[in-house]
Amino acid sequence: MKEFLKAVFWVDLAKGLWVTLRNQNPAYVCTEEYPRERPAVAERYRGAPRLNVHPETEQTLCIACNLCALACPEQLIVVGSQRNEETRRKELTHFTYDTSRCMFCGLCEDACPVDALELTQDFEMASFTREGAIWDRQMLEEGPLPTEYKF
Amino acid sequence: MEEILSNPYVFPLIVTTLIVALFPLVAGYIVLLERKVLADMQVRLGPMRVGPYGFLQPLADAFKLLLKEDIIPAGADKWIFWFAPVLSTFTALTAFAVIPLSDKFFVADVNIGILFILAMSSVGVLGLILGGWSSNSKYSLLGSLRSAAQMVSYEVPLGFSLVTGLMVAGTLSMQGIVRSQLDQGVWVAFANGGLMLVPAVLFMISAIAETNRAPFDLPEAESEIVAGFHTEYSGFRFALFFLAEYASIFVISSIGVTVFWGGWLRPFPNVESLGVVFNYAFPMLVFSILGLMCLRGVIKLMLIEQKAVMAVVGGAMFLFVLLFAIPAMNELIIGLFWFLFKVFVIVYSFIWFRGTFPRFRYDQLMRVGWTYLIPISIGALIVNAFAMVSGEILEVFGY
Repeated sequence: MKEFLKAVFWVDLAKGLWVTLRNQNPAYVCTEEYPRERPAVAERYRGAPRLNVHPETEQTLCIACNLCALACPEQLIVVGSQRNEETRRKELTHFTYDTSRCMFCGLCEDACPVDALELTQDFEMASFTREGAIWDRQMLEEGPLPTEYKF
Repeated sequence: MEEILSNPYVFPLIVTTLIVALFPLVAGYIVLLERKVLADMQVRLGPMRVGPYGFLQPLADAFKLLLKEDIIPAGADKWIFWFAPVLSTFTALTAFAVIPLSDKFFVADVNIGILFILAMSSVGVLGLILGGWSSNSKYSLLGSLRSAAQMVSYEVPLGFSLVTGLMVAGTLSMQGIVRSQLDQGVWVAFANGGLMLVPAVLFMISAIAETNRAPFDLPEAESEIVAGFHTEYSGFRFALFFLAEYASIFVISSIGVTVFWGGWLRPFPNVESLGVVFNYAFPMLVFSILGLMCLRGVIKLMLIEQKAVMAVVGGAMFLFVLLFAIPAMNELIIGLFWFLFKVFVIVYSFIWFRGTFPRFRYDQLMRVGWTYLIPISIGALIVNAFAMVSGEILEVFGY
């Protein structure tokens, strides 16, 4: 009898309607409007590589030791260096990092003795050409510059 | 000037022009409402990009549809393919001619009003069938066949529940139906001690089926037959079908409102003391809430253009509040307000049902129509007839 009355008065339908009505609360919306709002990725996320510079002098921290290039399983890092005859130090001339081949294992980051090379939390690394995925020293130092959307 | 204004054809012509010019916009905003409400129900945002909170999306959609390539399939019957959306739109818009938007705003008060609307909406089905058939596509044909079968099945309970309503009202004229509800002092849906609620609900169900809306949207079931009868249509022709669909939703909601829910009457139309509440307080409250929400948008939005659009909309809402506060103006537009408010509630519940109920299977659709709705609607007709007659008999004997 109870089942019959339930069927006649559409209790199940009313329950369904209540669910949809209740869910209209705008506070429940979990959509992220991506280019306007960017997600906070995990702290240990490994994304775009970065070649750090000294925060004050803006000189590169890299000592051109080539350990990252040796550590890289994909051998995508090329470190160019030149011996400075006065200071007897190796100085970085160029640094390329092919992000198209990178698998973001983080071994280069671990190998770096001076914490110059780092995998950051930036994730917008798309480019229009394959060549654009090969990052040179300037790009690695500046980092990716994503467009800011105001609206 | 005086001569022109006193001509009996002038005011209906103005109203007609207004309806034909404004309805595409209204349909666009019904679509936006549908997208937003469905998005809310599914915990999404819906359109947010064009205008503040997607407010100008309908304009962008219309512009896109105008610019799209107009394709006629190679195997299509060109003339019928061209004619079908025109037929659908024409009949859907013609039905507006007898809808009593208020006691002052209407095109014509015909003594067969409701019959006219039903006839027009039945011809409108022909547009869907022709469109599906002339496309020379199996999906379109299946869609239009389903549509035809569904219309035939659901027009019967729709008709019976309308007949029940008309029996209580005692006239076929749309204005007459509303006036009789005013005389009886009760909306038809609550007449006969609540017995009329059954045909009112049945009407709602068959109206959803008649307009091919979910959960009865088999003619355009995406998962089975792509888009049904308008699979092959694109660009402006598709826009016309869309317009016709939303016009028929509006029209059938208007019939429901007129016959069952009191047309342009406010709730408790005969209780004088509630006049202030329902004629002044309620519309002013509704519009001031809308206006305040717009103001909140103005504060929260970041771009100056979006703030401006939102401020204009909010200003319009506060203007409405002022209009409803002026007694002379209030008398003019309060009927329109109540009619459109009720239509809005019904359209909203159409969207609500779409967001809630899954689509019927074809055999379930037919079973619901023929084995439940039709017998129940006939039963409701008989029971209500007896209720009315017994009420009269009791009156004769002095009870």
